[in-house]
Amino acid sequence: MSICLAIDTSTSRTSVGLVEDGALLWHGFQDGATAHGSALPQLVSQGLAQQSKVDQVVVGMGPGPYTGLRVGIAFAISFGRARGIPVTGICSLDAIAALIHEDDFVVATDARRKEIYWARYINGVRTEGPSVDLPKFVAAIGVSAFGEGSFKYQLTTNEEFLFPDMASLVELSKNSDNKINEAMYLRRPDAVPTSERTQ
Amino acid sequence: MSAQPLVLGIETSCDETAIGIVRGRTLLANVIASSVDEHARFGGVVPEIASRAHLEAMLPMLDQALLQAKVSLKDLDAVSVTAGPGLVGALLVGVASASGLALGLGKPLYGVNHLAAHVSVDLLTHANAIEPTIALLVSGGHSSLLQVDDITSSVVKLGESMDDAAGEAFDKIARVMGLGFPGGPAIDRESNNGNSTAIDFPRGLTQSQDWRERPFDFSFSGLKTAVARYLEATPDYVRADVAASFQEAIVDVLLQKALLACKKSGIDSLVIAGGVAANSRLRHVAQERCDGAKIRLRIPAPALCTDNGAMVAALGSLMAAAGRPASTIGIDADSSLSVTCVSVA
Repeated sequence: MSICLAIDTSTSRTSVGLVEDGALLWHGFQDGATAHGSALPQLVSQGLAQQSKVDQVVVGMGPGPYTGLRVGIAFAISFGRARGIPVTGICSLDAIAALIHEDDFVVATDARRKEIYWARYINGVRTEGPSVDLPKFVAAIGVSAFGEGSFKYQLTTNEEFLFPDMASLVELSKNSDNKINEAMYLRRPDAVPTSERTQ
Repeated sequence: MSAQPLVLGIETSCDETAIGIVRGRTLLANVIASSVDEHARFGGVVPEIASRAHLEAMLPMLDQALLQAKVSLKDLDAVSVTAGPGLVGALLVGVASASGLALGLGKPLYGVNHLAAHVSVDLLTHANAIEPTIALLVSGGHSSLLQVDDITSSVVKLGESMDDAAGEAFDKIARVMGLGFPGGPAIDRESNNGNSTAIDFPRGLTQSQDWRERPFDFSFSGLKTAVARYLEATPDYVRADVAASFQEAIVDVLLQKALLACKKSGIDSLVIAGGVAANSRLRHVAQERCDGAKIRLRIPAPALCTDNGAMVAALGSLMAAAGRPASTIGIDADSSLSVTCVSVA
């Protein structure tokens, strides 16, 4: 029996799950694009009250807006170190896509600045992305769209599958090909070196 | 809680990812990864670059600190973290990590004030009690005069900078003079060869009305403008003299006000802390003037003046030993946390 703590902060929803052998034992979430910092420890604490023994941590590595994304990753790696248990990073978009049974579709989350983080999946395999682009670029692909970003920018009216799924995050971690070691920001920091600034 | 709590402290308020471990007043580990070189070409700290670097450095620093202290995480009595003030995105990496550690270990978490931590680090270098004391806190983000009756619960702000922090003024003037970033150490070095009385730069908020109305507040923007104008008007200026005179103006006004605070409060103890406390001229003149005024001066070792994790651990350890309540689960970073708030509930 292996119990896994799943965490994702790559979207405006802070999600935490406890998963045992593919079954979701407990799930908690809080919505709010700037709430990750306070919400995550509270949610994990609630989960641990149900089930204190955890054997593994799986965390969504994005892509996602930077500050919230880092909260999840920083918490996960530190919690893992404290317990002496492994921590596995997974592409958050894959944990939305895993719920969708269509041959060809895109998943997009909100990247702010009127852009979306997105990836395309054909026959269950990620074939493009993750990338960050304007919604119209993704709309032009002309396939079904899912996820918070797709809904926000009217690529879909489907309000299901907006956020990463905790049980899927854990399931994906079983395949070592899915593992991701670094936060996926997909953009460089906005900063202009002094030498390149216009006076 | 033990009288000598073993506490790990995490500091990520600006560009240093720093972790310290103390047992009571004994420093066991103090490790720092700095992203300062990545910011140099931008002429200042870029928050997003700093935040990314914090995340990358967190586990390596944690492992290094534990190795240096020869302790394991499960030995800890508590975890302590800078909750503010600072860059919010940078702070959040530390707060999230500390929350993860504390929840993972089942140990209390203290979210402490960065400025109070700067003052408390004095405990790790000086054995005698620090309270009550006047504290002059001078760094890249802050210039404050404080009355510290109890560092774990009672810090009163006497005054602060109305505009730039002292360290910020150092950075800006160093940039104008092409001395590089960070500016404090660069101006300190340049000043060694200069005449500090060569140019009479203004001392902000030292007019008679200022002494009546805001004796303990600082202002460095006028000084900054005066130096910039001088440089413009004097093409063949002597860089070392400008640096030394500028530095003298800052040191002079900081100490005039700090000593007045001691005199007015009747407290014969002064702690100088924060990154600017590493400035050699400030340390030297402070000692001279405090000796003259019979004030006990304490300045932490230069390595403990700049941002570090030991100071965060030190304050956490004091809080734990004093039986102060730990922070609640889910504390948030507070970029503008007031210095009078020693820890967040």
